[in-house]
Amino acid sequence: MSATQSAQRVAGERVANGRILRLVKSGPEREALESGQVDAVLDPETRTAFLLPDAERALSAAGGPIANSLLAALPREDYKGLLGELESLTLSSGEVLYEPGERIRHVYFPGDAQVSLLIVMPDRKALEVGLVGREGMVGIPLVLGAEVSSVRVLVQGSGSALRMKAASFREALARCLPLQRELYRYAYAKLGQARQTAACNRFHQVEARLASWLLLTRHRVRSDQFHLTHEFVAATLGIRRVGVTNAAGALQRRKLISYRRGNIRILDRKGLKAASCGCYEIVRNLAS
Amino acid sequence: MRAKKAKKSRAGPAAMTVVVMRLYIADAAPNSVKAIANLEAICKEHLPGAFKLEIVDVLEFPLRALADGVLVTPHLAKLSPSPAAKIIGNLSDRSNVLHALGIKQ
Repeated sequence: MSATQSAQRVAGERVANGRILRLVKSGPEREALESGQVDAVLDPETRTAFLLPDAERALSAAGGPIANSLLAALPREDYKGLLGELESLTLSSGEVLYEPGERIRHVYFPGDAQVSLLIVMPDRKALEVGLVGREGMVGIPLVLGAEVSSVRVLVQGSGSALRMKAASFREALARCLPLQRELYRYAYAKLGQARQTAACNRFHQVEARLASWLLLTRHRVRSDQFHLTHEFVAATLGIRRVGVTNAAGALQRRKLISYRRGNIRILDRKGLKAASCGCYEIVRNLAS
Repeated sequence: MRAKKAKKSRAGPAAMTVVVMRLYIADAAPNSVKAIANLEAICKEHLPGAFKLEIVDVLEFPLRALADGVLVTPHLAKLSPSPAAKIIGNLSDRSNVLHALGIKQ
């Protein structure tokens, strides 16, 4: 939003607030208004009802495209039923959402934010064991009846997300069957992905694994271009940085990708697919 | 009307009193969604089979809401049995709602 648009919005809200306070002068209506429990006000003069700014924003978000694929897959009525409990926020790179052993307070549905799940070893070395973007949800233990995270959850790429309190999420999951179905399917896909990755790490060459993983990332961020540091790729594939340099160099020489200072661009998707170990296809099919 | 839900007592002539309510909401705005969920939970627990609830969306039916004296949403009107009562807000204060509906805790 530009500075002018923002100023216009603030001015618009001030006018709206004046009108609201003129219409709702006292009584339980005023008390509810002051405690943020009112959505709309009726105006006897114009014989219409109008929404308060917060309610209007929430409804326009509900009517617009839904950034997170799990939420977008729900029937619209079910999604609307969850809106009262969903809070919109921006996640910043480097922010830790859960630490291992910590009780889960919120679940997160990323929009364009990217979040990684890390196993932290006793010597403090960390290995990335999962990446969650718009296709998923952070907080799967709650879906499966556990309350504590076994991994560190770290925001890799800043962006938008929706979050819900753990207690509200449990209630929503119990009453909303489509949400249950989507999340069980997603949890199953993540389990399958972990199994596949374990085998992939054991049997496949680094270059082929890197190709697969780049294709998965491309699918997740819906772009041929993304930013990933050597360090992060090394932590993800469980190899040393020099291993990443060698594998990325090999893919670059074959003109499949370009990789400069962490900026990755996929130049030849078909070629990269041919160079990959094939785990990419298996993991993608699990998710669909 | 956006949604309508009616439940009647199945307990025969000597049945408990049916509580008749009307909830005024604004589409799927957050407080309206919460009010519906909170009220459904209360009815399920305290008035199983003994309530009648009509939900009126004021964005669709502002004139009707104005005629009923509604100023803001969510607004729950208890119509019968008397005394009539109204509760404003998202109905998260459970004891307040139970008291207004005449339900002994």
